[in-house]
Amino acid sequence: MKASEGMFDESVIFVTKQGTQVRTDEGRIVVWDVDGDDGELASYPTEKLDTINVFGGVNFSTPFVARANEHGIVLNYFTQNGKYRGSFVPERNTIAEIRRAQYALSDDDELDLAKAMIAGKIRNARTLLSRKGVHGTDVLKDLGVRAENATNKDGLRGTEGEAAERYFNRLDETLTDGWTFEKRTKRPPEDHINSLLSLTYVMMKNEVLSGLRQYNLDPFLGVLHADRHGRPSLALDLQEEFRPIFCDAFVTRLVNRGVITHDDFTADNHLADEAFKTYLSKFDDYMQEEFTHPHFEYSVSRRKAIRQQVILLRKTMTGEMDEYHALTFDR
Amino acid sequence: MKASFRDELVPVSALNEYVYCPRRFYYQRYQDEIGTPYELVDGRSKHERQSRRGGWVRERYFRSNDLGLHGKIDLVESNDETLTPVERKRAESAEYYPSDEVQLAGYCMLLETALDESVNVGYIYLYSTDQRYAIQITENHRKTVREIVRHIRTMTVDSIPPLTDNPSKCEACSAREYCMPEETAMLEPDKAKGTGFEREERR
Repeated sequence: MKASEGMFDESVIFVTKQGTQVRTDEGRIVVWDVDGDDGELASYPTEKLDTINVFGGVNFSTPFVARANEHGIVLNYFTQNGKYRGSFVPERNTIAEIRRAQYALSDDDELDLAKAMIAGKIRNARTLLSRKGVHGTDVLKDLGVRAENATNKDGLRGTEGEAAERYFNRLDETLTDGWTFEKRTKRPPEDHINSLLSLTYVMMKNEVLSGLRQYNLDPFLGVLHADRHGRPSLALDLQEEFRPIFCDAFVTRLVNRGVITHDDFTADNHLADEAFKTYLSKFDDYMQEEFTHPHFEYSVSRRKAIRQQVILLRKTMTGEMDEYHALTFDR
Repeated sequence: MKASFRDELVPVSALNEYVYCPRRFYYQRYQDEIGTPYELVDGRSKHERQSRRGGWVRERYFRSNDLGLHGKIDLVESNDETLTPVERKRAESAEYYPSDEVQLAGYCMLLETALDESVNVGYIYLYSTDQRYAIQITENHRKTVREIVRHIRTMTVDSIPPLTDNPSKCEACSAREYCMPEETAMLEPDKAKGTGFEREERR
């Protein structure tokens, strides 16, 4: 079987150059250097795009925003350092039946979805460690079974927490000399590796969030993450299965290949400007990189595979499919 | 109570969509998930250009509560007092489909209701080959139209039509990315039972 033509492969763009404007020109979307003399920096066919991520001092022309609305293009705003600031979400008029289905999920339905996602995450954590030559992870296997058999959300959260701890304890062994992973710290990340993990989780969360919005699911109504004002719980839930196999794998690749070094960080553990640009471009490349899909057996980009998971999630919520099939890698 | 077409007139173009693939039609009707195929955009612009040239009666709207149908006929040709609907297709493959015949039959039936006299022939015109085909509208066509109207009007959001029995239709389908027919058959094989995606043991 062959993957159908690339609707998602170039669907997300990142605009990082300061002093630029995103505008429209004859049916295309153009990034224009307004402060400098470089003129048109890049242009994209409107139909292909679904997400534009902008960092810092980038602005949008009013006709462009109108077109983004018309074509269902989501705009995500970040600071120059990658801190998420908010989004422009286009209005779409056909969401009622989907939202109704999502809001009508019972506790049991939610638990089933969450179990599939967490069991998938634990499976993928084991696979990542094993790919990196870290063995003796049977305890993760047991926790995976426990996740599948969870009878309530609190139990499932407990299992997830235990699995994460066991997994992060071993993550250090995947890193090259000069890098260590002591423990997972956040808000703020206390070292460079944690800083890279946090940044990558934010970038991935936004990939998932854009996908959910694209398919008219409400990203704020989760199935496992507790409700909290302004927290995109469903995006965080769906992100779980991608964390080890995509996010952590990306971070280990960056440091193991020397793409990012300790010198690339500022005193407060942020990536310096140039390194951050490198990071974004590597992240985008990584999302467009193809792999053989473990279930569908064709070659597909990571970005498209994530969008497909959103579709599968939606199909499960609307009853079109019987269960949610997480993206899991056995080896 | 779930939304359905029960009390609404069915657009004639829906007959074509439904015959092509009921599942695709479902996505279009309830979930806005078919994308905008190039074919449609191109067809629209061709219609616009063509309908400015002189001669025939164009873009005429008809409706019939009895048939449960409504729609705009591209073009109605008049010859010796006989009115004949013309349905124009882009038809990259240089042929028309059974679903195009059904759509044409729907127009003929609308036209005869409006005129109160029988319309037994319609034309399908293909841009790609500049060919015109005269289609004899049979009792079978009429029956098919009535049946499809009934199916469409009783369709609900809770019952998704099965995967198509003819997977080759999926190749050019803009809903495929969302529909995921082969993927569905792999993940949940029972969903593919009796469809064109049912397969023997996997490799």
